[in-house]
Amino acid sequence: MSTSAEILTIRNLTKTFGDTVALNQVNFSLRAGEVHCLVGENGAGKSTLIKILAGAERPDDGVIVVFDKEHRYLSPDESLQLGIATIYQDLQLVTSLTVAENIFLGREIVTKFGVVDYTAQHRRATELLESMNISIPSNAIVETLSPAHQQTLQIVKALHVNARIMIMDEPTASLGIEETNALLNLVRRLVTKQIGIIYISHYLQEIFEIGDRVTVLKDGKAVQTLTVANSDVATITRHMIGREHSLFASRKSIASSDLVLQVHNLSKRDHFAEVSFDLHQGEILGFGGVIGAGRTELMNVIFGADLRDSGDILLHGHPLNCASPRSAIERGVVMIPEDRKLLALFDARSVRENIAVVDNEINHFWLKLGQELRAVQELIRRLHIVTAGTGQTIGSLSGGNQQKAVLARWLLSKGDLFIFDEPTKGVDIGAKEQIYELMAALVREGRSILLVSSELPELLAMSDRIAIMRSGKLVTMVDARQTTPRQLLALLLGIDDNGEFTR
Amino acid sequence: MLFAKRLGKKLLANQWSFLLIVVLILSIVAGTINSRYWWVGNLTNLLGQISVLSLVACGATILIISGNFDISVGANIGLSSVVMAMLMRNGLFSPVAAATGLLIAVICASLIGVAAIAFDAPSFIVSLAAIGVYQGIALFITQGTIQTIYGQFETLGSAKLFNLIPLLFVIALIGYGVLHFILAHTQLGRCVYAIGNNQRAAYLAGIKVNRRKLTFFAINGAFVGTAAMLLLSRVGAAQPSTGTGIELQAIGSVVIGGAPMSGGKGNAFGTFCGVLLWGVIGNALNMIRVDPYIQDVVIGLLIILAVAVSSLRLRAERVMK
Repeated sequence: MSTSAEILTIRNLTKTFGDTVALNQVNFSLRAGEVHCLVGENGAGKSTLIKILAGAERPDDGVIVVFDKEHRYLSPDESLQLGIATIYQDLQLVTSLTVAENIFLGREIVTKFGVVDYTAQHRRATELLESMNISIPSNAIVETLSPAHQQTLQIVKALHVNARIMIMDEPTASLGIEETNALLNLVRRLVTKQIGIIYISHYLQEIFEIGDRVTVLKDGKAVQTLTVANSDVATITRHMIGREHSLFASRKSIASSDLVLQVHNLSKRDHFAEVSFDLHQGEILGFGGVIGAGRTELMNVIFGADLRDSGDILLHGHPLNCASPRSAIERGVVMIPEDRKLLALFDARSVRENIAVVDNEINHFWLKLGQELRAVQELIRRLHIVTAGTGQTIGSLSGGNQQKAVLARWLLSKGDLFIFDEPTKGVDIGAKEQIYELMAALVREGRSILLVSSELPELLAMSDRIAIMRSGKLVTMVDARQTTPRQLLALLLGIDDNGEFTR
Repeated sequence: MLFAKRLGKKLLANQWSFLLIVVLILSIVAGTINSRYWWVGNLTNLLGQISVLSLVACGATILIISGNFDISVGANIGLSSVVMAMLMRNGLFSPVAAATGLLIAVICASLIGVAAIAFDAPSFIVSLAAIGVYQGIALFITQGTIQTIYGQFETLGSAKLFNLIPLLFVIALIGYGVLHFILAHTQLGRCVYAIGNNQRAAYLAGIKVNRRKLTFFAINGAFVGTAAMLLLSRVGAAQPSTGTGIELQAIGSVVIGGAPMSGGKGNAFGTFCGVLLWGVIGNALNMIRVDPYIQDVVIGLLIILAVAVSSLRLRAERVMK
């Protein structure tokens, strides 16, 4: 690998936004057929670097050498023509068109009459997909595909335009375990085609699976470039946050014997069936499963955002039959949903409005602006939300701070039973740690938590018990402190001790 | 110097200050060509002219920020004002007649909301369809005739505060005040922004989205009904076509005032500036004696120019960041 030529070299790249230095004299290089991972907390400068390579931002200083040609900056067009393709977190596909139409978008194959030749496009797309061993029908409408397949399609599309350098920004953020493995395999195949890949992920274990080198960005500086084979998680995290750290302080069980929530034989067709469990006061009950196991749908029903077909839910011994989230909220049941941007944020509005929204809606017909401001400031302090002020637009905060603000909303409105759905998705390590501490504080104060998570270390460290869900069934309940990551993974995937798949 | 530069930047950072600068430039140009532009008589006349549009735009502000539209407000004004006029002609005590018309405006506007919510249809289309319905009803009950009420209901339209400021404009200002109070000081106002920015998230945050949306439409109706009342009093007559086209001017004012069509943003002062720009352009063109036939062309071009400059300004801002 080390013998391959460098196809991209960045020297002394600097970019400032007003007073903040986003990139400070950054050096970085990429070889053909290499996976070079880029890690760092949110705000470390990763996205600025990507944007410069994609041509969306112009650097103040420094040189970008692509295929031996020096550039001061790249325009979006140049970037594409040089073969740089960026696969962003949010998908950039026209979801109402077919797979083939998306692959050829803007470069349609036309007949001699100048109209699109759908037959030829379909044929070529099928060839392309087959050559990559990908089983997506080329005539499928994109919105009917799974997130994983959509992600894959973006990569195929980039390949089609002869991308030589691919930048993948959190490609596995919304994928389940199996889907992630499939994507990592695809990355390995790309490498054999001598494509250079800049791979950005919050999931450090992926770096060890596919990375050749890893560069750690911190506060706009490239603090270290390491060869993955000679490195380990502890070293990388130390560079990322500047200290050795154990993300998970061991948490003792403080669950009492009081029952908060009792769920009996809860069913919803096509999503989950006959799910039963109890939640005690002060307990964190984890829910593990692959995507499609029905966990989010189950939580939606408890929160009143969706209707059940049958079954009972008791909250403190009284039936909880919520027709809308409003009635759940009034009884202290609150949810931090997985898709922050779509389901929780008012991204054009201020941090203040975002935090105060629920409390205002329940308690204050006439706003008490002074009281509201003080309450919000207090929460910003307590949760260490990094913001320029209460009036800053929440959409401009980092993922971790957005998540903390969403959490603050429910603290202000005095939630009692917290449902966390993938609470640390797209959140940097520093904020992750704070969210874990907040969860621990919540149960110390006598509240209870349902935690849906696909991150095994998180599930194991935070939960008291873990409910394992597979294809809509709650198959077993395990004690989190008596379970190893390996055992948990086997349970989630339905593999028995002999490595056979069970049902 | 530095202070001036910072002040300049700050002024340009706001849509409303940008609009005020444009208004000022237009006024200076018009005033230079025809000094009568600056006469008190003309300026108070200008304020009277923008009052009706102001109230309609206030209603449109709430709807647009919350992600809704009602383009039937012109037809709504036509219907409610002819009802008012007919009742007055038939000898009904004019405040009672006006109140009845206002109630009809609220009902008509609320029905748009009811239909949009019940059928989960875009309010834009529902209100588009309603234009024909409301205008048709107005044509049917009047049989297409103009309803004059000269001398019966003039106070509202002609009275002047301190013999100077038109009462119309005072009412419009109260309208802006109410709008600002709703948006900035009530739970309902926060719901306007929340629902317009992210309806699904608003629902999950416990907001009763449908009930709120219906309230927005009803409030819009109250603004529209008041506007119909003022228009009737000012003109002294009503016909089914009264108010036609005002919906687009109102939506235009709100959007020029800085509220995007996609919702979630905007405020009362922005709308005021948008309306003011509209009024000043019309008045200035008259004062500098632009051919009336060409005025609409010039107004259209000036509005496009204002929008273009403001979007270039936003782009420049983004680059500066």
